[in-house]
Amino acid sequence: MIQFFHVYKAYPGDPPVLSDINLSVEKGEFVFLTGPSGAGKTTLLKLIFCAEKATKGQILVGGRNIARIRESAVPYLRRNIGVVFQDFKLLPHRTVEDNVSFTLDVLGVPRAAARDKVRRMLKLVGLEHKANSFPLRLSGGEQQRVVIARALVNDPTILLADEPTGNLDPALTVEIMDLLTQVNIRGTTVVVATHDATLLARYQKRTVRLERGQIVSDEDGVKAARRMVV
Amino acid sequence: MSALAKTRYFWRSAAVGLKHSPFVHFIAVTTIAIALFSAGLARGSARVLDNLLASLGGEVEVTVYLAPELGQDEAHGVRARVEELSKGQVTLVPPDAALERLRTELGDLGEALAELPENPLPAALELRVPPEQRTPEALQALAKELRALPGVSGVDYGEQAVERLTAIARALRFGSLVAFVVVLGATVVIVAATLQLAIYSRREEIEIQKLVGATDRFVKAPFLLEGLLQGLLGAGVALLGLWAFGRLVGPTLGSLFAFLLGPGVAAPWVEPRLVMELVGAGCGLGLGGSFVAVGRFLRV
Repeated sequence: MIQFFHVYKAYPGDPPVLSDINLSVEKGEFVFLTGPSGAGKTTLLKLIFCAEKATKGQILVGGRNIARIRESAVPYLRRNIGVVFQDFKLLPHRTVEDNVSFTLDVLGVPRAAARDKVRRMLKLVGLEHKANSFPLRLSGGEQQRVVIARALVNDPTILLADEPTGNLDPALTVEIMDLLTQVNIRGTTVVVATHDATLLARYQKRTVRLERGQIVSDEDGVKAARRMVV
Repeated sequence: MSALAKTRYFWRSAAVGLKHSPFVHFIAVTTIAIALFSAGLARGSARVLDNLLASLGGEVEVTVYLAPELGQDEAHGVRARVEELSKGQVTLVPPDAALERLRTELGDLGEALAELPENPLPAALELRVPPEQRTPEALQALAKELRALPGVSGVDYGEQAVERLTAIARALRFGSLVAFVVVLGATVVIVAATLQLAIYSRREEIEIQKLVGATDRFVKAPFLLEGLLQGLLGAGVALLGLWAFGRLVGPTLGSLFAFLLGPGVAAPWVEPRLVMELVGAGCGLGLGGSFVAVGRFLRV
């Protein structure tokens, strides 16, 4: 589903952010990207949804080489990738329903059909009763669930989450992670960037560790969790 | 995927945009309205100027002096030929009539003419030039042709006056065209700057749109519609202003300058053609401004 071949990313005048990244994520897999701040986790995710371009190397997403993708083709690629950020990126003056249906507006889904889909998605994330609320009236966990609903409403094949629980307390963190696990069980490939060791220990998923822009380990969930405990 | 749903979304989004930053859009609409009002006034003034030129041009007369030895029949023959060449209205003024006219024009001094041993004035043809021949070039060419006719001793048409008048009219037209282009350019810049503020206030929305797979065209469309709506509103305000101007100030101007300008000023300031021109220009200005603004923003 996602493949990196000798990928480098550098900004002029700075040391490389990513060096010689080789990585393969299978369809339907759940992968944690971990490492200290500045290790390159966010940049790696940005390369997948074309918010950044690789300096060198090839990246395949769904069999398509996105290192050479035309600018005009990027929006169509993004329609297959849901993205969840730590800072939510919700529109404060729109209701929860409007925020989620924003993705469907872009796709030109008729309003009635969009409303049905949005309601179903809000039900999935447990927020159907908050459809007419405004984001700032919601808790952090609820806001993050709205973001997940927005990212999933057009049935993307990949869900990328960059520190999705970074701003949440432990109870809400579990709530969001359970939701992401549920999404993965339904068939969506999920990649979560986090530096929260307790999450890795609790969920025991494949863990790719980055340090100073390089992959230093790529372990299955049990091994990674054991290491966290040690 | 439905084009209708997208179109609905664009209009809804444009309306929300107008509501979202009313002051910014008010400035843009006012700027467009002022530019179009000025353009409408300039257009009306140009029409008045045309009327003035036409009325002054109507005064342009070519005098064709006939050779003294010409008999009456020959003079009529030359008249017919002049009429044919110029397609204008020709009056034959015999020497006696010309002398009588001079006497009247001189007033008391006219008595002195009685002392002349003989009438020194030749017979002449007075030609009222048709409108299409009232340019200096056409008059010059016509005079040349007339001078070459047998029986004609001279041609006079107030060459300098016609040339000066036409030069003034040309300078005025060129000046107003340059001013118009400058005002339009400035308007596009102001509209673009104000729209950029509106776009900037919605940068989060744009960022999310792009994140969820919106194309550049999709992002731009509502802003272009906002520009279009601004242009339409601006044109509407300008037309309303011109209509009010025509109703309130037009009659006063008409009576003040009637002696000079003729009926031009009294003509309506808002005509169907002007409505179409200003609405078109308004849409162009709004679209142009928003196109520049959105283009600049998406490049950042």
